[in-house]
Amino acid sequence: MNKFLKFLLASLAISASVNAQNHVIDQSGKTFIPSKITVRVGDTITFKNSDPFAHNAYTDEENNEFDVGMQAPSKETVITIKSADSFNVECAIHPNMLLEVIVK
Amino acid sequence: MIFKISLSALLISSFLFATQDMKKWLRPLEVPQPMDNKLTSERVELGKLLYFDARLSSSEQFSCATCHSPKRGWTDLEPVSKALGAGRGPRNSPTILNAGYQNRQFWDGRVKTLEEQALGPIEADVEMNMPLDELIAKLDKIDGYVKLFNQAYPSEGGITKITLAKAIASFERTVVSTIAPFDKYAMGDKKAISKKAVAGFDLFKGKAHCMDCHDNFNFSNGSFHNIGLNDGELQGKELGRYLTKQRAAWYGAFKTPTLRDVTKSAPYFHDGSVKTLEEATSICSSGGRYANGVKNKSTFMLDRKLSQTEIDKIVSFLKTLEGPDMKLEVPSKFPQ
Ligand code: HEC
Ligand code: HEC
Ligand SMILES: [Cu+2]
Repeated sequence: MNKFLKFLLASLAISASVNAQNHVIDQSGKTFIPSKITVRVGDTITFKNSDPFAHNAYTDEENNEFDVGMQAPSKETVITIKSADSFNVECAIHPNMLLEVIVK
Repeated sequence: MIFKISLSALLISSFLFATQDMKKWLRPLEVPQPMDNKLTSERVELGKLLYFDARLSSSEQFSCATCHSPKRGWTDLEPVSKALGAGRGPRNSPTILNAGYQNRQFWDGRVKTLEEQALGPIEADVEMNMPLDELIAKLDKIDGYVKLFNQAYPSEGGITKITLAKAIASFERTVVSTIAPFDKYAMGDKKAISKKAVAGFDLFKGKAHCMDCHDNFNFSNGSFHNIGLNDGELQGKELGRYLTKQRAAWYGAFKTPTLRDVTKSAPYFHDGSVKTLEEATSICSSGGRYANGVKNKSTFMLDRKLSQTEIDKIVSFLKTLEGPDMKLEVPSKFPQ
């Protein structure tokens, strides 16, 4: 690969990450707030825990699978959207907590 | 029917009187139903026949009601039922009361809907041991059932796994809690339960922190916890939800059960290891049976330092969650 191409690709990657947005999801009162978001591939979601006890956001949806793991109070975890498939996030401890993620 | 209507009228009007913070303790009148299986009287009646019909088992000795009997608080009152379920330890058969409101079924939440749940026990060798294909062929020869299935699910292809599951689930959705003394209290009748029980309710919500998990009208928020019934590495004991997928949060975790009609369903816990409500309350308020060294014990499970008198108060509150048995005619004749 010639140098120019490498440069071009690198700058493209940078501009992509500049365009990527971060979305904050708060976990408070055993609910995801907001409970529905629209994102793009490459965007990130920050899961914040404002409750005084642990949560564990996860999805088993194949192409965007992630597991925040046991998340202690006031901790934050960031995940990246990998594929253009919409999915639902659940809490492993409190299955009544549901977050709908629409990927555009 | 008239009885039903007047009962719900009473409930609706009482809802208006319950104060905002007490409303969450009252059962919503309508049970959630999937779009493709709305409740109709044909479906419920058919499901009821199937639920009580021992011909659904290969020995013709077991029905769903063997392990979930309305006469025994919708359980079998055995510590653990013989129902093992692939690779799982023996478990206590849970009540099916208000199961229609749950969004996860089984102690480990391995299925979501009652439809998905219903077919499992029929095929399980430790339960009814009846391959579904054989069962459907058998039911197909019973004219009475063919007719009832066609009436309940017209143009859904007669008796299939799907319609079988839908019918049983429909009956289960009608198995709901009745108005217990506590509900009358929640609706504003302050004399409906004793002072001792009121004190117990306050402890339940406050100092004892039971409400952290046993919340809302069903006294369960459906959450999964390891409450320290077994020690650290569980020594070959039940791993709970961890068996469905090895997620650290699920190690030794079980679903928080409802406490409605809990007086009717001893013994308690997923392994049926506890005989009385006193003992259950004491375990749940003292940081679990094993205080230390339990891997993944819930952070809610702390020693709340309750006195014996306080435990007695909570137990007398739990007793006010017992409602009258629901009106139910157990079928004595089955389709031929
Ligand atoms: C031999 C006893 C036995 C029979 C027969 C049986 N069950 Fe069960 N049932 C159990 C046990 C034990 C569990 C708990 C298993 C677990 O959680 O892994 C259970 C769980 C359930 C649950 C989940 C309740 C909850 O709160 O999670 C429902 C609903 C249920 N059974 C309905 C049925 C239906 C419908 C039938 C008939 C088709 C049936 N059962 C037959 C023993 C039995
Ligand atoms: C960390 C959440 C949590 C807290 C707090 C909690 N429980 Fe529980 N409770 C559970 C779970 C989970 C089970 C089932 C555990 C198992 O079988 O492994 C259970 C089981 C029970 C049972 C047995 C019910 C049955 O049908 O088997 C009773 C009774 C009970 N709890 C009462 C209480 C009382 C009273 C308090 C307050 C002192 C309390 N619990 C606090 C989660 C909790
Ligand atoms: Cu949670």
